[in-house]
Amino acid sequence: MKRRTFVQLLAASPLASPLTCGEAEAADAPKYRAVSRYKPAATPGMPGPYPGRVIAVKSAKCLDDTGDHADPAVVREMMERGIRALTGEASAIDAWRYFIKPDDVVGIKVNAGGQPYVVSSPEVVAETVRNLMAVGVKPAQIYVYERFQSQLDDINYAPHLPEGVTIFAAELGNRGVDNNRYDPLTYVEADFFGEDDTRSNMIRLISEKLTKIINIPNMKDHGATGVTGCLKNIAYGSFSNVARTHYNGASHTLSFVGTLAAVEPLRSRTVLQIMDGLRGVWHGGPFAHTKKYMFYPKTIMFGTDPVAIDRLLLDIIENERKAHGAISVWERSEKYLKADDSRARDADPNVNIIIREPGHIEYAAKLGLGVHDLKKIRVQEIEV
Amino acid sequence: MRRLIWTCLLLFIAGAVVSSFTAEAQRNAEAAQRLPIIYWAQGVETASVLKQAGIEQIAALPDKADEWRKAGFNVIALSQQELEHREKLFVPRTAGRADVASATRRPWIDSNGWRFVRNPVSKFYYDLTGKGAGKVLLASAEAFSYRADAILKIDPADVAEFGKMLAFLRTLPLSNLPPVADIGLIDEGSPATGEVMNLLTRRNLLFKLVPAPAPQFRVNIQLGSKEYPLAEAADPNAFAQKVRQQLGDENRSLRIYGTEVVIGRLTSDGARVQLHLLNYSGRDVDSLRVRLRGKYGKGELKAFEVEAGLEDFVVADGATEFTISKMGVYAMIELPAVK
Repeated sequence: MKRRTFVQLLAASPLASPLTCGEAEAADAPKYRAVSRYKPAATPGMPGPYPGRVIAVKSAKCLDDTGDHADPAVVREMMERGIRALTGEASAIDAWRYFIKPDDVVGIKVNAGGQPYVVSSPEVVAETVRNLMAVGVKPAQIYVYERFQSQLDDINYAPHLPEGVTIFAAELGNRGVDNNRYDPLTYVEADFFGEDDTRSNMIRLISEKLTKIINIPNMKDHGATGVTGCLKNIAYGSFSNVARTHYNGASHTLSFVGTLAAVEPLRSRTVLQIMDGLRGVWHGGPFAHTKKYMFYPKTIMFGTDPVAIDRLLLDIIENERKAHGAISVWERSEKYLKADDSRARDADPNVNIIIREPGHIEYAAKLGLGVHDLKKIRVQEIEV
Repeated sequence: MRRLIWTCLLLFIAGAVVSSFTAEAQRNAEAAQRLPIIYWAQGVETASVLKQAGIEQIAALPDKADEWRKAGFNVIALSQQELEHREKLFVPRTAGRADVASATRRPWIDSNGWRFVRNPVSKFYYDLTGKGAGKVLLASAEAFSYRADAILKIDPADVAEFGKMLAFLRTLPLSNLPPVADIGLIDEGSPATGEVMNLLTRRNLLFKLVPAPAPQFRVNIQLGSKEYPLAEAADPNAFAQKVRQQLGDENRSLRIYGTEVVIGRLTSDGARVQLHLLNYSGRDVDSLRVRLRGKYGKGELKAFEVEAGLEDFVVADGATEFTISKMGVYAMIELPAVK
């Protein structure tokens, strides 16, 4: 067992003497060194003002019969009801003002990896932008961001958004050769499998420009983490060089997802979680190249606590897998493992390509990112 | 009489030592001035091609040497047999090798740095014709970085490229500083040790050949010893990883982040360091982050054919870090040491 040390550098110089701000132990967890010159907010955005609280807004009318098209008006109503219920405000604009000020520079972290079928819906993203502008945020202060330009291009959010909103990618594609949009002074260092490049750097946009972040993940199965929701989307979608955590059927996602999400300023600036569960994928995720494993929760969840939402997601995906007779996301037996054989995984829901680590959600709770205990999670369901 | 014998003996030893130092100094001086040379078998009627490329020195066939000299070139007369008698080098590049591929997305690299370190006084040659065509930039930068005595047999179509690199190399300091090392390695000359040296070089684990374990190094490697059994060398990648863990990343004089295809050669005379960076990928690398153990001031970056600077320069905790905004095939950084 190795000892995990989480170190956050808070001084002005990024290489100044470290201050230990937390320690935890996990079996086989690598040694982490997190470096940042940013101090946490008085109330960090994660878990924010509503730890353990989740609003789940459902509507049978949000998608058409094919599931391909969302109804913007229904989505608008779902989002209004959700944000009002979360904050207790009477009007939607007051609810949004609770999180966002007119002078904020706002990033919307979308999930584009599940294109074409399960991505952050343009309707949800557009409605988020509309509300930000209603608060007084100018289009030039709004960034829809993801790591890879190629994925954003496939979705093409631009026609759904007002002129002036920036669609931003950190890299052209998943090639690891263009690093200039990552912050060299904000990173987590760890050696997972003997790789030479042991750093994962935060996107510069986050550290140097954004003042608030709204996270819009999807309800998805994930070959390495079990599920991918709020935590995985904000963590792996905001740092470079993260695919190195998976190798030959094993992964270090158990501890790395939460570790990344806890790095400042990402943790403090991510103030709102909007889980787009209009569509979901129960196997083969995070990708959704076919409709074979899609399902339709027709739900949007709201909260500030990414752990609580992801804990609910875990059961949603697990139940969907059970309904289809697929192995559990907790299954660790090697008899189901075909390391890195994505073709076999896509053909058979009883194939794992990596031993999944759904425990990453509980691990993140131990880092203070939210509430994992179901008994302490308060869910308010709303039907539209 | 006995005193006379002792005196003579001491004088002989002193003379041998001085002679040895003088020879080494001479070799270093020669190496410092050394620029890559192409092997050019064509006749003097092609002189304008070379002159246009800024090439002033070539290795030419002995029967053509004089006419090349008359045309104003510095010439090393060299037959084809003599060329091939030199140690042939790999064509430097990344190469797909499924048998040794790593899921850490680290491509296999054919590099020659370890061979230059192993045989610093050897004479080498690259065959950059046929499948080696197009690699003249990297090969010439590689040879220059290690100040190797290397002749490049090139595709005539690559002359202009070679000329560009030569012009760039002429702008660099022609000093040959001592290499920086973190690891001592006892080389008994076996292929297994050679492969270990290859992997250490590949992973930027800086080593120096030593005749016996040297106390200044945290790690001393002698293949076949109890600590480094010969069997372990069967997996040189794992072997290099073991050495890396023994050394500790924090104790490494050189770290490179943001890429796994750039190999560095670090040299220093105590007052300054020179870092040669060789990019084997065949495409530009953006925002390469370098960490050097030790404190250095902002110095100069010279990158071949790209506009680049040293950015986000930080000195703290006994280390110096900076970002090279962009690099092509080769870059050289010189930084002054600071107290």
